[in-house]
Formats: sequence, C-alpha cells, structure tokens
Amino acid sequence: MSVQADPTLPAPRLRLRQYLPSLILLVLVATLLTVMWAYMPNFFRLNNIINILLQASILGLLAIGMTGVLITGGIDLSMPANMALAAVLGTMAMRSTGSAAIGPVVMLAVGLALGAVNAVAVARLKMIPFVVTLSTMTVVSGTCIWITNSVSITGLPPSYTHTLLAKPFGIPVGVFAMVLFTVIASFVMQRCVPGRWLYTVGLNPRAARIGRVPVDRVIAGAYLAAGLMAGVTAVLLTARLGSASANMGADALTLDIIAACVVGGVSTFGGVGRAYGAVFGAILITVLSNVMNLAGVSFYVGLVIKGAVIVAFVAAEHRWRH
Amino acid sequence: MATSSEPILCMTDIDKHFPGVIALTKARLTVRPGEVMALMGANGAGKSTLMNVLGGVISPNGGTIELSGATVAFQSPRDSKAAGIAFVHQELTMFGTMTVAENIFIDDFPMASQLTDTRRMRAEATRLLDLVGARIEPDMPVEQLGTGDRQLIEIARALRRNPKVIIFDEPTSSLTDRERHRLFEVVRSLRQAGAAVIYITHFLDEIFAVCDRVTVMRDGTTVSDNAIAEVTAADVVRLMLGPTEEAGRLRPPTPSSASALVEVSGLSRSGALRDVALSLRPGEIVGLWGLLGSGRTELIRALMGLDPIDDGRITWFGDGQGRSVTPTELCGFAGLVTEDRRGEGIVAPQSITDNVALPNLGHLSSALGVIDGRRAEKLACETMNRLSVKASGPQQAIGTLSGGNQQKVVLGRWLAVQPRLFLLDEPTRGLDVSAKTDILKLVVELAQSGCAVLFVSSELGELMRVADRYLVMSRGQIIDDLPPTASEDDLMRAVA
Repeated sequence: MSVQADPTLPAPRLRLRQYLPSLILLVLVATLLTVMWAYMPNFFRLNNIINILLQASILGLLAIGMTGVLITGGIDLSMPANMALAAVLGTMAMRSTGSAAIGPVVMLAVGLALGAVNAVAVARLKMIPFVVTLSTMTVVSGTCIWITNSVSITGLPPSYTHTLLAKPFGIPVGVFAMVLFTVIASFVMQRCVPGRWLYTVGLNPRAARIGRVPVDRVIAGAYLAAGLMAGVTAVLLTARLGSASANMGADALTLDIIAACVVGGVSTFGGVGRAYGAVFGAILITVLSNVMNLAGVSFYVGLVIKGAVIVAFVAAEHRWRH
Repeated sequence: MATSSEPILCMTDIDKHFPGVIALTKARLTVRPGEVMALMGANGAGKSTLMNVLGGVISPNGGTIELSGATVAFQSPRDSKAAGIAFVHQELTMFGTMTVAENIFIDDFPMASQLTDTRRMRAEATRLLDLVGARIEPDMPVEQLGTGDRQLIEIARALRRNPKVIIFDEPTSSLTDRERHRLFEVVRSLRQAGAAVIYITHFLDEIFAVCDRVTVMRDGTTVSDNAIAEVTAADVVRLMLGPTEEAGRLRPPTPSSASALVEVSGLSRSGALRDVALSLRPGEIVGLWGLLGSGRTELIRALMGLDPIDDGRITWFGDGQGRSVTPTELCGFAGLVTEDRRGEGIVAPQSITDNVALPNLGHLSSALGVIDGRRAEKLACETMNRLSVKASGPQQAIGTLSGGNQQKVVLGRWLAVQPRLFLLDEPTRGLDVSAKTDILKLVVELAQSGCAVLFVSSELGELMRVADRYLVMSRGQIIDDLPPTASEDDLMRAVA
C-alpha cells in the first residue's frame, strides 16, 4: 500500500490565516485570565478552577448538543426551553411519586421527545431549523410557565440532590458529566460512522446522499441528541438549584450556548467544529461572565458584550473561510 | 426567407482567454435584419461566451463587433442594451409575487417625478404584450401564470426598447408543444418586423421550423454559417460534434445474453421524461446517447431518486426473482457518478481517504460503528494505486486535486462497494485524454466483472469506444435502441 508522493504537486500548505481564529482566541483567554488574576489572586487555586468548571458544566453540556446540530448546518434555539420543561415535569413526577429515580427518567424522556419534534419537523417535513426551533422554544416555554404559574417547583427527594451534588474525589458530578459527555461526543464525532456522516451532511448534503449517507436520519439524530442533552442538563441543574422553574430556560442561555459553540470553533455554516471546542468555548464564556461580574458590569451590558463576541467570531469565520 | 441586405451585426475574429482556458478563438457571427439565425454548438462550444461578449458582460481579448456598420466596444451590459441588443432569457428570472407589468419594467420603471408612473407602465406593458400576442392582464402576479406566458413576458421585456438584435437563449426548454408553436409565431412576427434574431437551442427540429440560417460553433470557434436549406439535421449534428476521435474500441462489442438485472417501464416525470422503458443486463455497457437537453441526465436522476418521478415501475432482479423497487432503493444497489462533480461527487474539504471511505463505511467500521482509520487509509491507497491518482498522499484534501484525479476517486470509491449496477453521467467531463482513457478502461473492467453499466457521454467518440448497445434519447423519450455495430453516421442520424 504505497502511494508515491508526486513531487510536482504542492503539498497542502497551512496558512497563517487558518490559525488566526485560534490565535485571537488564545489572546482573549490570556487577557481574561490576567484580569481574573489581577482581581482575584486566588483565582488559580484548584478549588476555584473546579468551581468554574462546575459553573460551566450546564453550558458545556448544552453546547455539545448544539454542536451536532450546527454541524448539520441547522440550529436549535429550543434547548434551554426544553431543558426547563424537562426539569419541571421531572420534578413534578418526583414530587407526586416520592421516587428519586423517576425524575431523571422523565427528564431524559421529555428532552428526547422534544428533540424528536424538532427532528421530524426539520428532517422529515423539511422545515427551516431556525423557524422550527424558535416555535418549539415559544410553545415549550409557554407551556412551562402555564404549568408552573411561574412558581418554582420544590420538594425534591433528598436522595436526588444528595446523589447529584456528591463530589467523588473532590470533583462534582456535574464536572464528571461534562467530561464524560465531551469524551463520548468527541469520540463518536471523530471516530465513528454517525460522526463521519454528520460532517459530510454538513459539508455537502447532495454528495452525502449519493455517497449513501442516510441524510435525513443523520439530521434527525442531531436534533434528538440535542434534546437528550437538554434532558441531561435538566437533571443536573435541578439538583444544583434544588428546584425546577420556567426561568431555567432563560433566553440569554440560548445566546450563551451559541456563543460557546462559535467561540469554540464550530461553524454556523455547518460541517466544521468539535465537541471539545464547544466545551472549551463554554468555559471561556463562563469565565467571561465571571470577569464581567467582578468588574461590576451589569447583566445587560454583559449581554451586549456577549452578543458582540458572537458577531465578531462569525464575521471573522466568514472572512477566513471564504 | 434569407434577405440579402447588409448585415446588422457582424462579430469578427472574437478571441477570449480566461486563465488557463481559451474560450473563443476567431469566433464569427453575422446576422442580417429580418433574419433568424440559429446558433448551435455542443456544451462548451463557446456559444454562451460569445453571447456574453455581445451582451457586454465580458470584454473580448481581440476581434471586432460591428453594429449597423459601425464598430462598437461594449464596456457593460448597459452599453449593449443601449445599442439595441436584447436578450430573452429562460423564464427563471421572474419575480413571482410582482405583476406582469412590474416584471417587464423591473430594471427601468417609468417615473413621474420621484414615483413610479403606474399608469404609463400599464399602458406600455399592454402594448408590448399585444406585440407578442399575449393575452395577459398586466396586473396579474407572474406566479399565477404558466411557463409559456412567462416566456412571452420575457420577450415583451426584451422588446421594450425596440431592439435591433434579439437573442433567444433556449427559449423552449420548458415549454409545452402548443406554447412552443406560439413562440415560433412570435419569432416569425419579429422577423417580419425587420428584427435580427439569434436563436440558441439544442433542439434541431426547431431550427428547421423557424430559422433562416444556422451558425455552428465548436471548441470556441465558428465552424460554419449556412442557409438552412443547404444543410440537413445530420449535417448540423456532425458539425457540432466534429470529427470523432480516431480511437479504437477498448473491447469488442459484447452484447449480453444474460437475463435483465433491472427493468424500467413507464418512467415519467412531467416536463422531463415520457414513458421511458429500458432494461439493463449484467456485463453490458449501455451507451445513453442524445443531444444536450434530450433528457439523459434527467433519466439518470429519476432512476436514482434524486428527482421525483410521476409514474413508472422499476424491477430489480439482483436477488434472483424480480421485485419492484423505488428509485431510492435502486440507488442503494447502484454506484452512481453524476455530472456535477463538485456539487454532488466530492466532499471537497475532506481527505481522499474520507471520500473513498464514505460509501464503504459499513465495511470499514466495527460492529459498534468505530471507523478503522488504518483500513480506510489502506483502501484509499489501493484505490489511488489502481487508478493512478496523483496526489501528495491519501490525506490530501480532495478539493485540491485536479479534476481528473477527483473523478478517479469519485468513481474508484465504488469499487470496494461492488455494486452490480453503475450509472455514470458524463464521468469524463473536463478530463484530459489520458484520464479519460483511464476512466473508460475502468468502465470496461466493471462490465467484464459482470456489472451492468449505463453510460452517458456527450462525446460520441468516447461512447463508441465502450458501448455494447445504444439507447437514443430525444425530448425525454427513448426513441431507438441501436446495436454496437451502429456507425457514427447512424448515431448522428438517430438524434437529428
């Protein structure tokens, strides 16, 4: 199996501009960390780092789900809303049965079911992802407020919170979950057939179809996975807050998820991006939020800054890729 | 009704080079007032480039354009338009939700102070629509109209400024028979009114129906200019295709006597295919022959489920007894290469290895779906060696390869899948001679190994090197089934 390199052909060369986004990211991270260190000299203590990771875990897990959808060239705006409804229904189920085990089951099932709604609408009915998931988001968050009357649902079984807030080896379950799903998602996307299909569909759906890729099933799978991740985060966030409420799915979270993906190198044009990149982006966005908090920047100004970061990265990506 | 008056348009020795490509060399075109000139040529002959030069879209590297005896140089489409040259494009350039009148005046609304003058626009539109014999209300939204009416609106738009030269670019490709005849009437009335018409089409019968002269282009240059009475349809085809390359057959004709692998009957798709029936046998290469626009590509796409079909029955005998299958299922049994290599063949940013692996992922992965990267790379290397693909290595992005090497990979990746049916639509388009021969040799090997191959090529010489029989297509129908002994003449006559 020897292929002779043809000396007349130029080897594919890596150009500086391909590295520019990563370079800028690096500078951004360095600046943030320096600021952190200036404000909070004990920022780099292990405890604090773990704390940051725990804060980032919800965003990171959602970003993993979003990455799959973005790679198909779509978008799922309904993830936070789906997470909230899953959390509310799961908590209600636990409260009425008194069983802690039923909660996660209901939450994952609700997440998957809502993912399936998006999947059918986009993959089967060929509707536009943006419109579909925006509608899902509205319907789901409306339902959520309607069911809860905007009141938090409390009364979780103690064993539920106890298990999920445990810190084996000093590391919270949430951080474990984030690491576990990052590894699984990265492996599946990089090394397994469904992952290869995912990228191919995002890069060239017509060529994928001819290359025997089940295009519709791949797209459906991405939305289902996003729904599942909404369910997973519902389980973790409910435990951390000690209650479930419609507020969990605040719109600003959608922005954070997309910001995490875009900053982490996931293309909004489809076909490009890594799960671990998105998780890295999530950590970065969390640190950024912390920095702004410390600097006394208001929540709303924070939104302005995050929105600007997304636009800047998308614009940069567009320039560098085309 | 060839007139002997002075030419109104005279394009002489037009040259146009693009980086790496010579699009036109000494192309000529002469048209007189009151004359309909057919402009014919195979794909890539340079018709579009020449018309783009005339339209001011691109400027030529050499040559002169004389209009009414004066030399002109168009810097932009606006210049060309102002000089009295008008294009009738296919109906696709319409704004469906706007009215007929608005579509006619889309690039030049009549103004009254700062507002559009709706009344003048309507009156003017009514006059133009009368001129082309269209009974359409100018206030109708275009989306409510049929294709034929839209085509007439396009003509009305072109007539807005009393052009001296009107170019019809494949005006009938999506019209029904009745709409076509209405269009011919309009063309004849324009001729009567003294306009010079350039009529571009792929349909030979049309040039004999409406044209006075025919100019044929081939390989970027003009090869003939004749009065229509001096030529036959077969002459035109011969001029368009040029001398067939004197390359021998790659294997002697091998008509297969085996029973059919796949049988198709009654395949129809509105506006593209009519009642197509064919059967393919293992071990034979069937050449699908027809001029551009005859429905070759449409047939392949319909068979593979890439375009929906209205009707038809496909029977697959691959598993012993015949069973009825859908086009999408048939696609699952076939190796398919479409004519659009960039759009439907390669996944450009991915490596050769990934592209080869794509249809083979089932074999290259474990039961749990983990891809074996080493085996994928081995397969890619084997494919590259077998087809002598030139690349720096299997990890090179396929988009950076030359067209011929890309195509070798696109075809070669099916070898490991071992489908029993191959549908190849222009697999050698844009390839150099040696790459072409490599691909053709591979096709023969596939047939020798027992595959059925349906092979489409617009180069007759190439088809004749491999085909074991020919299916001839015209206007979406299979009109003939010729034996491998058919001569070049037979084949050209069949489509003429």
